Formats: sequence, structure tokens, C-alpha cells
Amino acid sequence: MDTLLSLINGFGVAFEPAKLMFCLIGVFLGTAVGVLPGIGPALTVALLLPVTFKLDPAGSLIMFAGIYYGGMYGGSTTAILLNAPGESASLATALEGSKMAKAGRGGPALATSAIGSFVAGLIATIGLAFLAPLLVELAVKFGPWDYFALMIVAFVTVSATFGDSPLRGLTSLFIGIALGLIGIDKLTGQARLTFGVPELLNGVEVTTLAVGLFAVGEAFYVASKRFRDPEEIIPIKGSLWMTKEDWKRSWAPWLRGTAFGFPIGALPAGGAEVPTFLSYSTERKLCKYPDEFGKGAIEGVAGPEAANNASAAGTLVPLLTLGLPTSATAAIMLAGFQQYGLNPGPLLFAEKPDLVWGLIASLFIANVMLVILNLPLIGLWVRLLAIPQPWLYAGILVFATMGTLAVNGSPVELGMLFLFGFMGYLMRRYDYPVAPMVVGLILGPMAEAQLRRALQISLGDPMILLENPISATLLGIAFLALVAPFVMKGLNRFKAAED
Amino acid sequence: MTNDTRSQSANKPALVVGVLLLIFAALVGYDASQQTITSTYGVGPTAMPYVVAAGLAILGLAHFVVAFREGLPQPEDADSNALLWIAGGLVFLIACIGLGGGFIIAITVVFACTARGMGRQALAVDAAIGFVLGLVIYLVFAKVLTLILPSGPLERLFL
Amino acid sequence: MLTSILKRTALTAVALAALSTAAFAQLNELKIMAPAAPGGGWDGTARSMQQALTAAGIVKSVQVNNVTGAGGTIGLAQLIGAKGAGDQLMVNGFVMVGAILLNKSPVNLTQVTPIARLTAEAEVIVVPTESPLKTAKDLAERLKADPAKVTWAGGSAGGTDHILAALFAKAVGADAKKINYIPFSGGGEALAAMLGGRVTAGVSGYGEFEGQIKAGKLRVLAVSSPKRLENAPDAPTLKEQGIDLELLNWRSVVAPPGLSAEQTKALTDTVEKMAKSKEWQEILKARGWDDSFLAGAAFDTFLKAEIERVSKVMVDVGLVK
Repeated sequence: MDTLLSLINGFGVAFEPAKLMFCLIGVFLGTAVGVLPGIGPALTVALLLPVTFKLDPAGSLIMFAGIYYGGMYGGSTTAILLNAPGESASLATALEGSKMAKAGRGGPALATSAIGSFVAGLIATIGLAFLAPLLVELAVKFGPWDYFALMIVAFVTVSATFGDSPLRGLTSLFIGIALGLIGIDKLTGQARLTFGVPELLNGVEVTTLAVGLFAVGEAFYVASKRFRDPEEIIPIKGSLWMTKEDWKRSWAPWLRGTAFGFPIGALPAGGAEVPTFLSYSTERKLCKYPDEFGKGAIEGVAGPEAANNASAAGTLVPLLTLGLPTSATAAIMLAGFQQYGLNPGPLLFAEKPDLVWGLIASLFIANVMLVILNLPLIGLWVRLLAIPQPWLYAGILVFATMGTLAVNGSPVELGMLFLFGFMGYLMRRYDYPVAPMVVGLILGPMAEAQLRRALQISLGDPMILLENPISATLLGIAFLALVAPFVMKGLNRFKAAED
Repeated sequence: MTNDTRSQSANKPALVVGVLLLIFAALVGYDASQQTITSTYGVGPTAMPYVVAAGLAILGLAHFVVAFREGLPQPEDADSNALLWIAGGLVFLIACIGLGGGFIIAITVVFACTARGMGRQALAVDAAIGFVLGLVIYLVFAKVLTLILPSGPLERLFL
Repeated sequence: MLTSILKRTALTAVALAALSTAAFAQLNELKIMAPAAPGGGWDGTARSMQQALTAAGIVKSVQVNNVTGAGGTIGLAQLIGAKGAGDQLMVNGFVMVGAILLNKSPVNLTQVTPIARLTAEAEVIVVPTESPLKTAKDLAERLKADPAKVTWAGGSAGGTDHILAALFAKAVGADAKKINYIPFSGGGEALAAMLGGRVTAGVSGYGEFEGQIKAGKLRVLAVSSPKRLENAPDAPTLKEQGIDLELLNWRSVVAPPGLSAEQTKALTDTVEKMAKSKEWQEILKARGWDDSFLAGAAFDTFLKAEIERVSKVMVDVGLVK
């Protein structure tokens, strides 16, 4: 009851005109930068920090939160329309989203992602307000072994992105994992696979690989078969909005995505990627139209987008309740708190309830503003696809270059973008799936680091993975997911033999 | 994109991929063998590379098997002219940024070359569009985001 | 457009002339490089400097550019390449000293012109409140008994936290090579490991753990600064507990090599003026950075001593051969 009262008070703060203004500026900025690949909410907030330190703390924190939520909405736009996932969390959205966009269903794809983000944001923010203390307890309980087990679950489900050949899918995945080895080893600081090139020490940037393989690779591929088999992009086919059928197919993925995103996002090392992958593969398994997956199934957009947004709200749980920053954006927001001498944590709730609850209330408002801002924009965005193809693809390459340079302005990085682009072309040509490679690059280093941390704590004893209930359960799930298809096949064969 | 092209001889692309995977595996393994770290608990920085190298090697060998069976899907003919235009634009981009030619010129060329590769025949017009695009992006980054994109002589005029 | 270029060249010419004659030189243009991605600590320092320098009217135009990669050593190489450029500064810090060694960087900090140290942050060694360890001495005893069983949580390998753990082991007579240090990515993860009680001790900048210390979830065993901290007067220093060790995570600015005495002076004067300005002091307060201004020969000596100390400990822990 206390929580409810505090929240109502919070709304009182958040509805002050000045606060609403800050919120609006925040969501607007967030959407704008979210659309640009390479420039995420973390960077934007970082750049704004020095400018805002003379402003009212509550106001600028509300603005930062607006940017954070806005960035999550904006990120899906480029992933769907241009097949250029601007951040690793939009990767899963790009898989089905871009297929939908090409088939003239960009409108519904954007709509389901906006409304899904809204639903997920709403539920997750309610969760943030009411469940935070509970979740935090769980979050702190998660040890390196548990994270490792979670990554294994994600790895096992990745096979959903393999396409029709396990060999080619695995090849793609392993190259991704190998690329993930490049750079400084997180646990010992040793350089691996850098061959004396200092630019490689920081490793392969996920966005560079994703944009290279997806956007640049596709530009090459489309150009190469222009005469023989010209690609057709249909800006709008059928309704610009979601049909009844779309709604029916979206609502459950939204909820399931939220269920993955919010708790995993609340884990200190959970991140936004793992829940989006899990959501994608779950939707693929549960979808009533499995044939549509890979060709633009709306469930594959609705689920991951909801997961992505819910995880964003999830990261605010440890940030506000413990002062634990668990993502780049959260770390910068923490710096934002600290520049006003505020330390997020249990004390802050007691000392500055107006500020904290005002912030949480304004997250609800930001969410509403975002959906109002984004839905009318859909019509405009979809028109982008009506640009003549040469200009569209030239623009995509300009965009990809800009994103890469904004993060790291070195020719080596551009060289990698080009290389990955060409690799993406060859992979398309010989029907290798590109998504597993990016997944390998994201999950490989995370899994390795967590496993090694676990073994360092246990002094090399691998039993630690099975002795802990959470990790043992997760590994059990992974094992089941791995063998279930074979067992089912065997059973079917057995049944067939009996008949 | 058909899978049914069974030929008598080995499938060349599959062989090439197999060889490349083996080379990559060797590279990863060799690099791991060169590590000099002397103290860690649990597993060190070389364990994962060895596992990955082994995986890559197995996949490489599997490609050899595939090469003598069904092979990789037969691709359609590619328009190499189009590829060269786009690749040329990107190579120029890298060189231009590397040699300090600046963002705007690089973007101008990338835009024009890509549009040409995709079939437009109006290089000058496209270059002009690319130039404006590059200039606008550069200015927005510099003034609004206070991020300086790679600058050459041209960019300095606008700062 | 053309006139503005003319004006600018004229201005630079005037500035150059002024440089060679005037005792106190005013810079008109300054480029500050942050050798890291936008948003990090070095970037924050660079942008705050930009803000203070322009707001206080010390330098008219200040440009910040980011050169990412390899723990800042790519930026360092670029700075060293800009020999003789008297209008450039690069932000760096303690972490870079280790990164240079770890990355086997071909360039190092002895090749630049040191200008000034700006800020410093004390490190803290903490344990979960439930831990039986009460003092740094207790931790030292444990460490001497079995270094493998004492797990440390902190930031990246070879970073400030890691070096403090190693120096601590050395100072108390334990084997630095045997410390079981677990690097976490980002303070959040390390903090969670501490709160979950999965590691023995944690090392970090004071600011990162402050909230949890104040909330009573973490106990400070020691601070690494020479004196007790103003905002944590109860936390004893290492020295007080008989452990001869001081370490500050400092940030400084350096300039390209090959500068004339006048150029060096102009840069030093500019930075000093900024460090004394009201604007800079406000930023320090807002960001929670401690002023630790040190310039000239004193900074020179300090830098050399730090490089030597870090080089030695990196070999001791086995990170570098």
C-alpha cells in the first residue's frame, strides 16, 4: 500500500509542467539517437551530462530516463527498415522485421514493435515499482556459474536461427565465437589473436559485425543479382496498421517477451541480448505458422522487441534499489545521479522519495509519450522504403559508415566493416545464415568469462556448476532443449514403426 | 538456391571453405600456444581458444565430406561489375579516412559508387547528393552531438 | 567562409607571435584528446576541461576528440606522432601505465611531455558486512595463510584495482603471483559479487562502493590514500594499519613530445589557470573528483615513479614477462 501511495505522490511530481517538458525532450532525443546506429542512449546521456549539471536534478534524471526508453524504441526502426541493427539488442528484431518490411509489412512490424515496447515497458515499470525488492534479492544471488548456465541455455536455443543446414549454421556460430576471442582477454588482460595490431585489442565491435553482415552484406548481394533476379521492395502492402490477425498473433509474444526481458534485465550481468534470443527462439517454437519464420513472421518481431524494452526497465531495478549499474546506460545514469550528490540505493528511497518515485512515475509517462510519438511516425518511416533502390542502399551504406565512425573513427574499424560486409555477401551467396555469427560473438565472450570466473572461485572444480541449484536447473533445461528434438524424432520413428 | 546439384567431382566452394576453416583453426590454436601468462586459477586464457580451434577444425573436415557429397548450394551468377563499384567505393572510403581526406569526401564517393553499382547512371548527381548528405551528417555530429567525425581539409572549413 | 579562415589564420599567427614573446601566453585554440570512447572516465575529464576552459574564458575554442582503443595506447601513439604541436593535450591516468605494459605497446608515457596531474581518487578495500574480517591486518593474515582462498573482486585485469590487490599482497609479505583476483566488467557486477558474498574482498574506487558502504552493506577495511577521506572519516588508511602502501587512481594531461620551453609553459599555465578556476572547482564537486593538481618538475618525478612501481608489480603478478 505504501508503494501505491508513493507512486501516486510520484505522479504528482511527474505531472509538473517542467517535468513533463523534460520527459518530452528526453523521449524525443532518445528516439532520434536510437534510430542512428552506433549512437545509443548511453552515449547520448554521456554527452549531455556536462551540459545538465546545473539543471534541476529530478528534471534531468527524468530526461535521461526518457532518453533510455526512447533509445529502445528507436533502435528497432533501423533494424526493421534497413536491416541495420544499431545495437546488439535489436539483432533478433532485424531477423524477421526486415523480411516483413521488404514484403510491404513494415507498417505492422513497426507497429507491433512500438505497441509491444509499450506493453512491455508498462508491465516492466509496474514490476519495477512493486517487485523491485524481491527481484534484487534474486539478482544478488546469481553467481558466475548461474550466468554461465544461462548463456548455455541461450546457446542451445540459438539453433533456431540456423536455417536448414546445421553444418552451415554451426560454422557461422563458431566463426562468431572465434571472432569473440580477438582482443584483450577480460580475465588476464592478455592479447589474443591480435597479431600486433593495436586496433584489434578492443576486440570486434558487435555493431560493426552486425551492420557489416546484415546491411553491407545485403547491399552487395542485392547489387550482385540486380539483373538476374532484381529484388523488389514493396513499401506498403495491405494495411499500414496491424490487422486483427496481427493483434491476435502479437499479444502473447509481447507478454512472453516481457517475462524473459524484465527478470533477466534485472540481473547484474543479464543484459538485453540473452532475453531477445530466448524470446525469438521461443516464438519460433510456439508459432502456429512455423513456415513463416525466416520470411517475416510477426511473432519474431513482437517477442524480441518486448523483451528488449522490458530488460531496459529491468536494469533500472538494481540501479535504483542498490546503485548497481548493470548496463552501459545504467552506468552513465548512475554518474548522472552522482553529479547531484545522489547515491541510488535503499537510502535514496528513504531520503528523496519525491525524486525516486517521480522518476518511476515519469517512466510511465515516457512510455505513453513514446507510443504516441512513434505510431504516427510509422507512416513516415515506411515511406523511406519508397526511395529508389540505388539511393536507398547508398544511404544505408552511408548510415553504416557513420555509425561505425561515430563509435571508433579508425580505418581499421572501417576495414572490418567492409570485410564483414563482403563475408556477409559470400555467406548469403552460399546460403550460410549470418545471425548465428553475431550471436556467437555476443554470447561467446560472456559465457567464457563467466565460466572462468566460476572456476576461479571454485579453484578449478567444475562441480560448482552442478552444486548450485540455479545453475544446475538451467543446465538441465539446456540439456533437455538439446536432446528433446532427437528424442521426439526417435519417438515418432518408433511410433511409425509400430503402425 | 537448389541443393540437388550432385556432380561427380568435388564441390569447389565447399573445399575452399573447408581449407579456410582449417587455416583459421590453426591460427587460433597457434595464437593460444604463444601465450605467456604465468599465473591463474581455474582455466586460463588458452582453454577457450583450443576448444574453438578444435571446433573449427571439425567443421572444416565436415566441409570436405560435404564437398564430396552434396556440396554447397549452387549460387546464381553474380554481376561482378556492380560488386566492384560498391567495393571500390568502400575501399576509397577506408583510404580516404586513413589518409586524412575527411568524412565528407569519403561519404560523397561511397554514396555515388553504391548508387552506380545499384544501377543508376548519374554519377555527378549522386555525388552531389552524397556531398550534401555527408556535410549535413558531419555538421549535426559536430554541432549537436559535439562528436567530431574524421576531418580533412574540407571539414576544417566548417568548424 | 573564406574571411573566417583568413581571420583564423591571422589569429593563430598572432597567437604564435605572442607565444614566442610574452611571458604568459594565452592559447586561442586547444585540442583535447580523450583516448577512449565517448562516455568513459577520460572522456568525461576531457569534456569537463572543455567546459571549464571555455566557461572561464581561458581558451576560446576547445575541441574534444576521441581516439578509442587498446587502453588508450592508440591515442598515445597518435599524440606522440604529433611532435611539436603546442595546441594539443591528451587526458590519461594511472590505468594507462598498466595498459601500455599489458598491450606491449610500442609507445610509452616517457615519450610525452607531462603537463599536470588533475584529479585523484582513493581506492578502498571492502568486505561484505557479514565477513569475519574486520581490519586490513585480518585480510593480510588470511592472504599469507593461503592466497588462493582469498578471492578479490575488482575491475579489469592490470587496472588500478588489480594493481592495488597485488601491491597489498606484496606489502604484507604474501606472494603477489598467487593472488586470486577476479576481474569483473564494470562496478555493478563486482558489487553484486560482493553483496552475494561470493568473494572474500572487493577493490574499487571509493565512489563506486560509496552507496553500499553508507547503507551498511559493505565494510571498509582500508582506504589507499595517504590521509583519511573527508566523506568517510571512519575508514582507516593502510598506513595507519601498519601496511606501507599508498595508491591513488589519478588522471592527468600530457602533451606531444618535442615542445619548446615556451610551448610547454603556455600549456602548463593554461591548465593551471583552469585548475584554479571557479568553474573547474564546481565541476570537481559535482562529479565527486578530488583535486590533486600537480604540475611541472614535481609531476614529472611523480609520473616516473609510478611507471617504475607499476612495471615492477605487473611482472610480480605474472601479467607481463
